Amino acid sequence: MSSEPMEQDIYRLAVEKTTRLLSYVLLTLLAITFLLPLYWMFTGSFKLQSVTMALPPEIFPTNPTLENWTRLFTGPWPVWRWVLNSMAVSLLTVVLVLAISSLTGYGFGKKKFPGSNALFIILLSTMFLPNQVILIPLFLLVHGLHMTSTTLGTYFAMAMPMISSPFGIFLIKQFCSTIPDELLDAARIDGASEWGVFTQIVLPLLKPALAALAIFTFNQAWNYFMWHFVIATDKSQYTLPVGISIISRTPAIGKMLTDIGLTMAGGSFGAFFMIVLFVAFQQYFIKGITFGAVKE
Amino acid sequence: MTSRFKVFAKEFRKGWSGYLFIAPGYIAFIAFMLIPILFAISLSFYKASFNLDARQFVGFAQYIQLGQDLVFIQALQNTINYTLVIVPSTVLISLMVALLVDPLGPRMQGFFRGAFYLPGVAGGVVLSVVYLWIFNPTYGLLNYVLGLFGIEPVLWLATSPHSFQAVCAVVLTFTIGQPIILFLAGLAGISQDVLDAATVDGANDLQKAIYIRLPLLRPVILFVVATQTIQVFQLWEVIYMVTRGGPFNSSTSLVFLIYQTAFENSNYGKASAIGVVLMLIIMAFTLVQLKFWNKSDI
Repeated sequence: MSSEPMEQDIYRLAVEKTTRLLSYVLLTLLAITFLLPLYWMFTGSFKLQSVTMALPPEIFPTNPTLENWTRLFTGPWPVWRWVLNSMAVSLLTVVLVLAISSLTGYGFGKKKFPGSNALFIILLSTMFLPNQVILIPLFLLVHGLHMTSTTLGTYFAMAMPMISSPFGIFLIKQFCSTIPDELLDAARIDGASEWGVFTQIVLPLLKPALAALAIFTFNQAWNYFMWHFVIATDKSQYTLPVGISIISRTPAIGKMLTDIGLTMAGGSFGAFFMIVLFVAFQQYFIKGITFGAVKE
Repeated sequence: MTSRFKVFAKEFRKGWSGYLFIAPGYIAFIAFMLIPILFAISLSFYKASFNLDARQFVGFAQYIQLGQDLVFIQALQNTINYTLVIVPSTVLISLMVALLVDPLGPRMQGFFRGAFYLPGVAGGVVLSVVYLWIFNPTYGLLNYVLGLFGIEPVLWLATSPHSFQAVCAVVLTFTIGQPIILFLAGLAGISQDVLDAATVDGANDLQKAIYIRLPLLRPVILFVVATQTIQVFQLWEVIYMVTRGGPFNSSTSLVFLIYQTAFENSNYGKASAIGVVLMLIIMAFTLVQLKFWNKSDI
């Protein structure tokens, strides 16, 4: 072996190491930039009002206080009620979207019947429509029927614009097409009814797709701020994001200024639930995003 | 004719359970999507406020008025500008991050993927409240940091075009996470053989990125451009939270204008007309960008 290739190898190794190091540095800087708002919010929730307005800003809270958090939980805002509302609305949306998507996605994916293509294309064509167009008619409906006069009615009204989910139906239809027909036919020969084939064969196979769809829908419903904001008429009806936005617009008692510490505590509290969900179900989040978009 | 009907009847009988399976979804689709859309379209031809019974048919008058409505034109212009700034920035940043993260081990990949996706999970409202503080002209973090570099304080939310830039910055914080995940999945799908062949031919990392990875990522890039454009066209909550469209409508958007017209001024007819225009723009965009797709991409 001559020495030349070895020198080349050493050179290449050095270049590789340097690029790797540089990319780490660049990535870390970028990650810090993008995570900075969340860091600033979380640390801000432990700062007194005077500290939140101090110059130079305290990068790390030197005298952390729990005052903001105490005020958040003992103040005039029913924050736990907002959590309950957000949970109820998001869960209701998930249940409805999952039931509808699995039935209809299976129907389109595995059943042959006249008109199925045309019906599916009509449905799919609304996938990219701006949701805001339907909010005005739905708003008039909610008011016409006084849906927000009861708690259950409010939850249903808040879930309403998301019930028709072309994306969910599309996702399940695609997933169903990977299930071999022979499997379903075998069950039929064994005497299973059409409903039995669906519940005993198809649904168990759909589990991973349904899990991804559930997480994705939950996150979307949780953050569907505009609609919740528009139809909630009383602070007991707010969802968590609506409540946080209201806190952020309410001046501190006796002052003209925003109550920054309290707002940051509220924001951290609001982010907490989604972040826990994300950390616990990261793989499903990612599946929900990549499904259908990237060929595997 | 009769035989054709018989064939249809036979297929119908064979496929009857199919209709039953799609029924719940289709009923929901008709009730909560199709009828509202048609209702919104019809409403756009009426002058309508809170008392719907008193609505007046005005034909295309509201559409014609929109053509001379300076606020509407501004909102339309801003919406296009938001798209032109946010979508390319999102694609470039997320592509760069994905290319940097791709060679790392699975652990680090997972870490960075999560880190960049986290702001998006937290949601627009949560991010907006902290950005309001960061953008504050006197005690905000941003002006302080800029001051360290000798830059004069900027009234981020009260002057144009800074309010527009501020909205873009907030939105960018949470749009890059999803494309990064998509690009990483796309990069993982590129066969190692192709890259090894390029290495043997003497290609360096940059060349491999430009000549092999990017062309193979084309379908994913197109998908990201399409979904991001549609998302940015529907920009609302950040504008509501951070600038309320101001100053002087310099940061407003079509959807924010729909919100103001419908839910603050109860002008449902005009708001529906703006909604229909937005719908037509998105439909046109979807059709145009379908032209960029190859059959093999889908």
